[in-house]
Amino acid sequence: MAAAFDAIVVGGGHNGMVVASYLAKSRRKVLLLEREPEVGGILRNAELAPGFHAPGIAHTVGRLRASVVRDLKLMRHGFEPIEPDVRVFAPQAGGGALAFWKDPARTAEGLRVFHAADADGYLRFDRKVRALSSFVAYILAATPPDVKAPSIADAIGGLRLGKAFRDLGDKAGRETIRALPMAIADFVGEAFEHEGIRGALATRGVLYSNVGPWAAGSAASFLVDSAGNDGGAPGQSVVSRGGTAGLAAALRAAATSFGVEVRTGVEVVEILTRGARAAGVRTADGGTIEARAVVSAVDPKRTLRLVDPEVLGPHLVWRGENIRQPGATAKVNLALGALPSFEGGAEELLRGRIVIGHSIDHVERAKDAWKYGRVAEEPWLEATIPTLADPSLAPEGKHVMSVLFEAAPRNLRGTDWASERERVGDLAVKTLERHAPGLGELVEARQVITPEDLETEYALTGGHVYHAEHGLDQFFAWRPLNGHARYRFGIEGLYLAGSGAHPGGGITGGPGANAARAILRDLKR
Amino acid sequence: MATRYDVVVIGGGHNGLTAAAYLAKAGKSVLVLEKNELLGGAAMTVERFPGFRFSAMSYVVSLLRPEIIRELELPRHGLEILPLDGTITPLDGDSLWRVNDHGRTVRELRRWSLNDAEAYEEYGRLMAEMARFIKPILSIVPPDPGKISPLEWLPLVGLAKGFRDLPQKLQTTFIQLMTMSAADFLDQWFETEPLKATMSASGIIGTFQGPRSPGTAYVLLHHYMGEIDGAFRAWGIPKGGTGGISYAIASAALAAGVEIRTEAPVARIAVKGGRATGVTLASGEEIGAGAVLSSVDSNVTFLKLLEPGTLEPEFEREVRRYKFRGSSGKVNLALDGLPELACKPGVGPWLRGAISFSPSLDYMERAYDDAKYGRYSERPYIDCIIPTLVDPSMAPPGKHIMSCFVQYAPYKLEGGATWTPELRDAFGENVIDTLEERFPDIRKRILHAYVLSPKDIEDLTGLTEGNIFQGELSLEQLFFNRPVPGWARYRTPVRDLWMCGSATHPGGGIMGAPGRIAALEFLRAKRGGRAA
Repeated sequence: MAAAFDAIVVGGGHNGMVVASYLAKSRRKVLLLEREPEVGGILRNAELAPGFHAPGIAHTVGRLRASVVRDLKLMRHGFEPIEPDVRVFAPQAGGGALAFWKDPARTAEGLRVFHAADADGYLRFDRKVRALSSFVAYILAATPPDVKAPSIADAIGGLRLGKAFRDLGDKAGRETIRALPMAIADFVGEAFEHEGIRGALATRGVLYSNVGPWAAGSAASFLVDSAGNDGGAPGQSVVSRGGTAGLAAALRAAATSFGVEVRTGVEVVEILTRGARAAGVRTADGGTIEARAVVSAVDPKRTLRLVDPEVLGPHLVWRGENIRQPGATAKVNLALGALPSFEGGAEELLRGRIVIGHSIDHVERAKDAWKYGRVAEEPWLEATIPTLADPSLAPEGKHVMSVLFEAAPRNLRGTDWASERERVGDLAVKTLERHAPGLGELVEARQVITPEDLETEYALTGGHVYHAEHGLDQFFAWRPLNGHARYRFGIEGLYLAGSGAHPGGGITGGPGANAARAILRDLKR
Repeated sequence: MATRYDVVVIGGGHNGLTAAAYLAKAGKSVLVLEKNELLGGAAMTVERFPGFRFSAMSYVVSLLRPEIIRELELPRHGLEILPLDGTITPLDGDSLWRVNDHGRTVRELRRWSLNDAEAYEEYGRLMAEMARFIKPILSIVPPDPGKISPLEWLPLVGLAKGFRDLPQKLQTTFIQLMTMSAADFLDQWFETEPLKATMSASGIIGTFQGPRSPGTAYVLLHHYMGEIDGAFRAWGIPKGGTGGISYAIASAALAAGVEIRTEAPVARIAVKGGRATGVTLASGEEIGAGAVLSSVDSNVTFLKLLEPGTLEPEFEREVRRYKFRGSSGKVNLALDGLPELACKPGVGPWLRGAISFSPSLDYMERAYDDAKYGRYSERPYIDCIIPTLVDPSMAPPGKHIMSCFVQYAPYKLEGGATWTPELRDAFGENVIDTLEERFPDIRKRILHAYVLSPKDIEDLTGLTEGNIFQGELSLEQLFFNRPVPGWARYRTPVRDLWMCGSATHPGGGIMGAPGRIAALEFLRAKRGGRAA
């Protein structure tokens, strides 16, 4: 009997919608199932008080792959990115604030007051980051090679990568190989002496991660963050009209236009198999739906748990359970009666990311707390004020502030998230108030999303925003597992297309787009 | 007119001596110059107090390459390695004691966890297989990834093929070892805290990393690659201390015709027309040579011994950014009798192996946290051995010595402070306090204490920042990046100046491999052969 669908996509986050769209665009019959009433996953907006809409988790969208925007005609479907001139505003421990602009020369000029030599070095560093991450972008766009049995296509891919590598030149080539396994603290430490500059830049290597800036491989995370976009040294700070949900809506519209059937409020509870091959899904209401391929856009651990362990075998079950995905990030959304005023922060400066990471030590200490199962007493924060780009997200004259809080470990010791939730909110406000006196009084409503909520409400096993930790051990040809990195996952007919697959987490659409290539190839057979 | 040699080797540590021996065996006239009175560098035995001889710094051996032992006939030159049996981790009211007798260790582990006892066997097998695969890497000259010359990559092709043909399980393990933290790696297998912590210790020794730092799993393997008498994972102590190794190599070198001068510190490497032509000693004496092999670290070689301006600024910048970060200290104690463990009283075979202060991963990680912010660990990891139980000749009859390797003791201190004698004493006291928690009677046994901070290690040996491996063994400083990307093939931008110490591939530890590979590569180049 022929299956009703060529592919069922499990999970309607951005990667689920991207992979579904690409498949449908190639005339495949695709059904997308989302557990929640709305699609979008971490792009969903949360209404934290009547009329106040804040991004649930992610708050910038500038890493979205350009080819995805183009191929899925997202602009036509209502996606409207807004790019401020400022990238990062970084209040300093001793007062004052650094500003990183879209224009590197403007940034360098501003840094001069803080550290003349670092201001000179900034342009060099920005160029270096761009050169190295342009090569990394090739890696991200590629399907990882099969380590065990490289095919001719892998060889060609390897040659293409080899050419990109040679085009870098001897020096940059060596430098890339050297940089990827480095600690971001060393990577920025070699370029800058000013602790504030180091700290603000280093945060990008450890966002959502459970390691600190002294961890090997955090430089790779940093370069990945700048790859394929105009991020450069400070990273992108593009927001979406309508908040991140604006992008989710555009993705849904695109998917529908290509013929994807989207069903929300339908939870997949089992991936059905026939003869060790994925054959369809069972939904929470007991119904079953058959398909030639099952494409999971949920996290890898959750995906494997949906499959009968006897089919997977004990070794794969063991490996799957060892995928590292305990989260480190909480989200605090604030409804503000007015725009907070930061010391040295004119309104124009607050339109990008506001980073409170004073030094390498500050960021490292915050992450130390994770190791011992504690909430950081001196967290580092990345905040945005989406209402500056789109005032319709709050009642007139009011604002929302979206604050990522690190470190907040999923697994607390000696306490639980019910007790710690409000403390995270308090610590976030207290930390912000140090640089924006009076901010606390502007708070009209507050929402704290804990890593536990990420697990229960966003279905992220372990509460990791990137599905699986961005570590060198869960990278490229072995993300999430060696032998399962080419989007074919666990058993025949099952595919992984979410952030747990290469090239990893963040609002890129990369895993979805890459996965679609592999799935289409198999469906042709 | 001063004497002229084919090769002058700077530094009489084990790598310098090894390189010299190989060169002399190939017919070169070789002079080794050592700044200290005693040979050995960090592998040195010193009689600090009458009758008490200490392996002042490096204290155990397992990585010394068997081909060196064979080719230089080291046993004939006095090398004798005495096995060190087992590791005990003292705890509150209990202990975890692993011995070389596998069956006994598994029985001991069953007390803690049935799962761990079972996993331990599989883990041991896997690591042994892994080490067998990885060992050839220790003997090759790294290629330069910037230049894709097929000749340079040839040795890697075999390795890549070997990797491809590995069963997937081993492939995965290899990838994990290269990238994971020791803690994450071990967490997959084991649940017993003292077991994981003690095993993780081999992943952090000598590095400025904690057990939860990615990349430390690799060093777990480094320490599985050791072999004594062909048996993997056997540690031993050289008879006469680690200086015993250096003396055996020196004796082999002398027999091959090497000249060795001690108390002959080099002040300058002479460079004429872009070539190294010899050295000038601190005394002003000039010695001519066809080539200079430096076994001292890259910082000393390039920034101290060369005339400023000799190197391109670009290269010099890369030398400067190479990380040393000394992280360990050493406390050597002279004892008038054996101390007893509170958790396992009496004098028994458990004192004959390593006594590891590593009760839990958190304990180890906290020790690292202190160091990250520039303080010595309030409660450090200590790897403690009592060499006199294996080699009584190290102390007067009835007396003992205790060697404590201590981590962490960062070279760079909070707020830019420096190591003073007072701070070193406080550090030593803190270590003895820590020892006292497990050995309650230790204080009354101590006759003398000989404490070394990383600064002392630097002053004594010349090792920059007291880093015992001549540079951090972090991923970006291994293989083709060691010590400078593009210059990992033992050559330097100065013609006829070569590197042959732990700052080159395959790195630190009493291994001798850098000295041997550098010498062989040098000889090949001089014969006019192409790159290996």
